[in-house]
Amino acid sequence: MDDYISAEGLRKVYTMGMVEVRAINGVSFSIRKGDFVGITGSSGSGKSTLLHMLGLLDPPSEGTIAIDGTDVIPLSEAEKGVFRLSRFGFIFQDYALVPELTAEENVSLVAMARGDNADSYARRARELLSRVGLGDRTTHLPSELSGGEQQRVAIARALINKPEILFADEPCANLDSTNSRAVLDLFREINRTMNLTVIMVSHESWHIEYCDRVVRLHDGKIEEDFRPEKRDLTITP
Amino acid sequence: MFNDLKVSAFLAARSIQRGGRGRNAMYIVIIALVLTNMIFLPSVIMGAMDVYYEQTIDYISSDVIIKPPEDVRYIDDVETLLATVNRVPGVVRASARYPMAGSIDFEDKTVAMEIDAFNPRDETEVTKFHKHITEGDFLGSGDRDQILVGSLVAGNKDDIGEFYASLGGATVGDVVTVRYANSVVREYRIKGIINTKSYQADYMVFVTKDEMDAVTGTGGAQATEVLIKTVTNEDAPLVKKRILQFGVGEDVRTWEEALPDVVSESIESFAIINMISVFGGLVIAVVLIFIMTTIKTFNNRKQIGILKAIGLKKGIIINSYVMQVIFICLIGTVLGSLLLGMMVLYFTTFPIEFPDGNVTPIVTWSMIIENTALLFISSAVAGFIPAWRVVNEGILEAIRGG
Ligand SMILES: Nc1ncnc2c1ncn2[C@@H]1O[C@H](COP(=O)(O)OP(=O)(O)OP(=O)(O)O)[C@@H](O)[C@H]1O
Ligand SMILES: [Mg+2]
Repeated sequence: MDDYISAEGLRKVYTMGMVEVRAINGVSFSIRKGDFVGITGSSGSGKSTLLHMLGLLDPPSEGTIAIDGTDVIPLSEAEKGVFRLSRFGFIFQDYALVPELTAEENVSLVAMARGDNADSYARRARELLSRVGLGDRTTHLPSELSGGEQQRVAIARALINKPEILFADEPCANLDSTNSRAVLDLFREINRTMNLTVIMVSHESWHIEYCDRVVRLHDGKIEEDFRPEKRDLTITP
Repeated sequence: MFNDLKVSAFLAARSIQRGGRGRNAMYIVIIALVLTNMIFLPSVIMGAMDVYYEQTIDYISSDVIIKPPEDVRYIDDVETLLATVNRVPGVVRASARYPMAGSIDFEDKTVAMEIDAFNPRDETEVTKFHKHITEGDFLGSGDRDQILVGSLVAGNKDDIGEFYASLGGATVGDVVTVRYANSVVREYRIKGIINTKSYQADYMVFVTKDEMDAVTGTGGAQATEVLIKTVTNEDAPLVKKRILQFGVGEDVRTWEEALPDVVSESIESFAIINMISVFGGLVIAVVLIFIMTTIKTFNNRKQIGILKAIGLKKGIIINSYVMQVIFICLIGTVLGSLLLGMMVLYFTTFPIEFPDGNVTPIVTWSMIIENTALLFISSAVAGFIPAWRVVNEGILEAIRGG
């Protein structure tokens, strides 16, 4: 159970002309199913790089990653695509919603691509939108929503395929503190109620209070790995 | 697979529906104009060719023409030949032509040319000269001292700008002197002026066959051609075949086979001009679609990267752009066809006046289908390439890259 996700000896080296940048320089750790893991560290410490490797968006230069018992390094691009579509949800700093689709259509797009039944994904999309507090905004286009609302649509989109792991890279970077709190509350709630593993990159120290575990990176290495103590476990519905 | 196409179609439809309507409308109009441009010039050329063909049939060769075999000047025993040909099924009438070289004098002008002769009764059933006598009358059977003169031969008093030597404005009732190559000299009263709008036909003069018999003397006039009118809608090659089956040993040709080499050469030149105009249209379309898709996909780079990260297949995303292009082409070509239809309608009512006759553009279905297909294929490729390029960019480059 402790080894739901396990990474061994991860390295990522970018070669820029003569210079070698070791973005991740020997990282080994494992993540428990259902944990809310925060990855933190200063700018350039390798947070996004690590997240992308775990999310199968970027292969490591060295090392192994196993997810739920599957060694994912040898998978082909297409197999990784299927893996991501069926088991992962992604949220980025940029909401990157399709501008010509309504909130509901943006949320259901992935399920549609998976070949789900139209009625069921439409219903589910509306459910998820109410869950993220946008029940009355389903027919709005992204341009008709605020930044926080767009990010919440992106979260609903990430959840439509009932993922097991949610990857979030600075999901609150473009949001004010009120909207950030709403988004983080939402993360914590779905983490609890859906038993979803959440891996979130953030450099805001106050975000730590939402996490079960915090991994702090420094120069591509784990500098600190701890479980914050004072954690408010009550769920605000 | 089918589901993938459905998702692509959904994305394409929404993008067309909600994204940049004005711009899409502009693309559609340009595609419509490209199609119009690809087809209009060829259709005018085809219309002009058609006028030329019609004139050839009406005045020069009729539907089928018989000439003496190579190296022989005259048709042997033309009376028997005419009798034979007139019996062939599908033949309306045959008319023989009996030319002799000579010159025509009027006042101080002289025109050196061939004087042609026919039997007016036969000729009215075979050619349309008798319908295009703008002044005076057509020749009658017994006419001996009268001549029909083409309008370009008659000319104008003010002869500036005439291409050919003319009689400088001879009109009906004027008397001209004809000096035949065999030294016979005759005076004729102009009975009628021919005006067909065909350069070739309007530069001819005619007397009756009886007159030519008299001019020629012993043995009578000698025929060099027999023009044959077929029944309406009868296939000229078929009639030609029947004529040959009736034992005619002369050189029998359909009007098409009888076209001079210059004409077949100009048809080739027109084909090249058409190709250039089609190619030019395609280049415009390709560049337009390429730029359009490049802009669209480039603006959506980040979004495309994230859709890929989420797990959407590349094919779905690429096809959604190709489908938008196809949609724009579809509406564009429909609009273009309508535009063409309107232009053809307009120019049918008010034909383009060419010196050689009134030209109505001819648009055939095969022209529309061929050009539309070309437009679709090249546009689809032009849309596919930039979409493919952006979609195949690494996910991370797309997400990171501003
Ligand atoms: N494609 C690349 N080519 C070269 N170097 C790269 C590339 N991507 C990342 N790096 C380098 O790797 C290091 C880690 O980058 P990463 O994006 O993981 O940092 P980060 O912790 O997410 O920083 P931030 O908080 O600013 O987002 C940086 O030094 C960065 O310059
Ligand atoms: Mg980062």
